[in-house]
Amino acid sequence: MGAANDVKYAYIAARVRAMKGKLIPKEMYPKFLNMEIPEITRFIGESEYKKDVDELGKKYSGIDLVEHALNQNLALTYRKLIDVSQNEANFLITEYLRSWDIWNIKTIIRGKFSGASEDEILEDVVSAGQLRYRELTEIVKIGTVEGVIAAFAKTPHYPALEGYNGVLADIENSLDRMYYSNLIKVVSASGNKLFLKFLRTEIDLKNLKMLFRMKRADMEREDILKLLIPGGMELKDADLSRLAAMPLSEFVRAIEEYSYWKAISDVSGELTSLLNIETRLDKYGLAYAASISYYYPLSILPVLDYILSKKIEVDNLRIIVRGKETSLQEDIIKAHLVM
Amino acid sequence: MVADAGMIAIGAGIAVGLAGIGAGMGEQAIGAAAVGAMAEDEKFFGKGLLMTVIPESIAIFGLVVALILLFVFNA
Repeated sequence: MGAANDVKYAYIAARVRAMKGKLIPKEMYPKFLNMEIPEITRFIGESEYKKDVDELGKKYSGIDLVEHALNQNLALTYRKLIDVSQNEANFLITEYLRSWDIWNIKTIIRGKFSGASEDEILEDVVSAGQLRYRELTEIVKIGTVEGVIAAFAKTPHYPALEGYNGVLADIENSLDRMYYSNLIKVVSASGNKLFLKFLRTEIDLKNLKMLFRMKRADMEREDILKLLIPGGMELKDADLSRLAAMPLSEFVRAIEEYSYWKAISDVSGELTSLLNIETRLDKYGLAYAASISYYYPLSILPVLDYILSKKIEVDNLRIIVRGKETSLQEDIIKAHLVM
Repeated sequence: MVADAGMIAIGAGIAVGLAGIGAGMGEQAIGAAAVGAMAEDEKFFGKGLLMTVIPESIAIFGLVVALILLFVFNA
């Protein structure tokens, strides 16, 4: 990495490091587990989420308030990253955060498909991508799945949506594949090898999770292959096709040769629930992002590390609050937390 | 003698000038990073300022060399 690149990323890298310092420390999560919902809500209301909680306090209350405040904060934080970055960093962050457009499109279509109310859908909308909250609230008002798809006609995501034939999984899958193939293309063109490495590892982890889920559901090789995203770091097309054909027990043994094995080796015997495996893979992703961002401190990696850490913080808080609300046992909530 | 004095003065100028450019290049990234961190948290002001002026020592080395040239060699 040349000196010119170092200078380019100095501002944004130092800024996200300072922002990361303000995230809730992982020692706090076990304490949350011992708190009641009002205490957690108060803590969130006095933390970095204060402004969002105050702002939305008039409109929502209780758990809904927490949920909306977390989502709004996440969206504003990501938007801030786009606003304060310049040139290459700005371009790469914008492209990476398009995943939230995909998330929102999926959320709205799923919501409409299952007949959820507008408020229920908006609860899960995070306008951190290029589609603004106002546009999304307008789209949420549309009654049918077909109408929603037509509303997205002007977005670059439309080619993945237009083939909708009543099966949600198909368009969701093509949205994901389109997002990743487009991202790989633009990142390769930008020549940022570090981002590409991060991205391809993320694809591997996503594919591994998908493989575990599909193997447990005993799906056929062809059906599994349709759901996997090409372009991974270690799990190339040939590996994916080989792994997809194996039965679960053989598949678990076959993963031993990949570096991701160390993340799941101690829980690989407990395949009754995939929760442990998915949480471990998320933890691996987080630790990996943190470690490579320390190797290359003046690059895009600290920003990506922050994006991931912030998302996991919001997810963890949501899991705790929702878990407490539904009176889940502490160890079950704890098993879901990535920390 | 006048020509020698002129050469010494040019040498002193180059020493200060190059050292200043070097210090500036060093400070560029550090200054940007310090402002970035400070924008998020004002507590970084002290640390940021300290880090930003560290490359300034290079400029001082240049100045010292220039002073040596002017006062020792000119005497």
